[in-house]
Amino acid sequence: MSEVIVITSGKGGVGKTTTTANVGTGLAQLDKKVVLIDTDIGLRNLDVVMGLENRIVYNLVDVVEGNCRMKQALIKDKRYPNLFLLPSAQTRDKTAVTPEQMMKLTDELREEFDYILLDCPAGIEQGFKNAIAGADRALVVTTPEVSAIRDADRIIGLLEANEIKQIHLIVNRLRMDMVSRGDMMSIDDVTEILAINLIGAVPDDEQIVISTNQGEPLAGRTDTMAGQAYINICHRILGEDVPLLDLNVKNSMWSKIAGLFKKN
Amino acid sequence: MSQKVILKSNKYGINLILDPEIPFEELLSAVAGKFQEADSFFKGARMALSFEGRKLSAWEEQQIVETISRNSDVVIVCIVENDVIREQILKGLMEEPAEDALSIGQFYKGTLRSGQLLECERSIIILGDVNPGAKIVSRGNVVVLGALKGNAYAGAGGDNQAFIAALDMDPVQLKIGDVIGRSADKALWSGSKKKKKTEPVVDPQVAVVKDDNIYIEPITKGLLNHL
Repeated sequence: MSEVIVITSGKGGVGKTTTTANVGTGLAQLDKKVVLIDTDIGLRNLDVVMGLENRIVYNLVDVVEGNCRMKQALIKDKRYPNLFLLPSAQTRDKTAVTPEQMMKLTDELREEFDYILLDCPAGIEQGFKNAIAGADRALVVTTPEVSAIRDADRIIGLLEANEIKQIHLIVNRLRMDMVSRGDMMSIDDVTEILAINLIGAVPDDEQIVISTNQGEPLAGRTDTMAGQAYINICHRILGEDVPLLDLNVKNSMWSKIAGLFKKN
Repeated sequence: MSQKVILKSNKYGINLILDPEIPFEELLSAVAGKFQEADSFFKGARMALSFEGRKLSAWEEQQIVETISRNSDVVIVCIVENDVIREQILKGLMEEPAEDALSIGQFYKGTLRSGQLLECERSIIILGDVNPGAKIVSRGNVVVLGALKGNAYAGAGGDNQAFIAALDMDPVQLKIGDVIGRSADKALWSGSKKKKKTEPVVDPQVAVVKDDNIYIEPITKGLLNHL
């Protein structure tokens, strides 16, 4: 049974694309056949984060408009042969496709893949409607900030109204030092406000910035906290019961210990 | 010569204005003629039929409906009684609850999220939270069995006697009747309110209008007696 998962947030810059890239990479590591779809037409990013920008020939709009076959537009990942990307078009805008066309597209991909991940654009307009049209479930990404949580709340309401039954929360960019000082909302504070089930928490990790700049997602790299957190999320998507990562371990200490193993 | 049958459209369908004098047979053929002429215009429409100008027996009504279906593709869904008294009774039924908005209520189960608006003619009891950016509008009272963190408007018909109650009263803005109150300017989030391991602190409060101002007070027995 294949599943179509939309990664959304409402607010921009909270980590939708990073989450899509890492969850997709993680699921591929767990031997699932995965395709990532960048639905942010006109502002494509996912290809950059995946390090696949130079391979784009055809894109999502080309497929929808029938300029090419699906197979021609899908880009195989550098690292994992069971991971694919359907890039977005950069020279068009959100009106280039309709929710009906997106549903048709995801249905076609269901036959081939275990997981179809949709990277949703920020906002609640056409791009959002396109992205959620074919989705079975949703991952809502938020940061522990009031503005991001307001938007997440709005998004959850819209997802519920569109009868997406399974909605899970990812709290991104947590800084445990700030939480313990009482300067940042904790995971519990966020889930209490949004009242949906948590599927994972990802610490604020400078390794993410490095990995994005290199075009190498770090899911599964257990020498990084974020990489560990993402692979845990992937296990939970598969239905496994994995305890929440203890984010309280000092970042520097963690990487030092992990670094020792890496050298060998 | 005056027309024997006049077709008039209304909000349900068509109204037939019938000549009260002429024999029924003649009336039927006039109806047949009218619908033959207008058939291309109606194009098989579904509509409700009502009569005016002539008292018809059930048999006669039946005859007219049959004549219409024989002479056109119009589908008569039902016959609407063009009865002034009945209309007034129905209208009364529709309006009655509004007057009783304060004492009759309904439940809504679930969390109201940002961007969602809940409007009701009666009092409303919400089993869940009202998050910032969400709004409830009620002609009666508003009771939130959860946290009220969004906007609430009670007594939307202009009734200052209405009240707004919540287990956790932390609204952005309240309106009761024609009085508006807003929250104090404060940090949107300033540390965890509750220590997790202790029992949750419940502090139910109610907002009422006194001297053209909204007051928020803890719910006590004495206060409830005055609502």
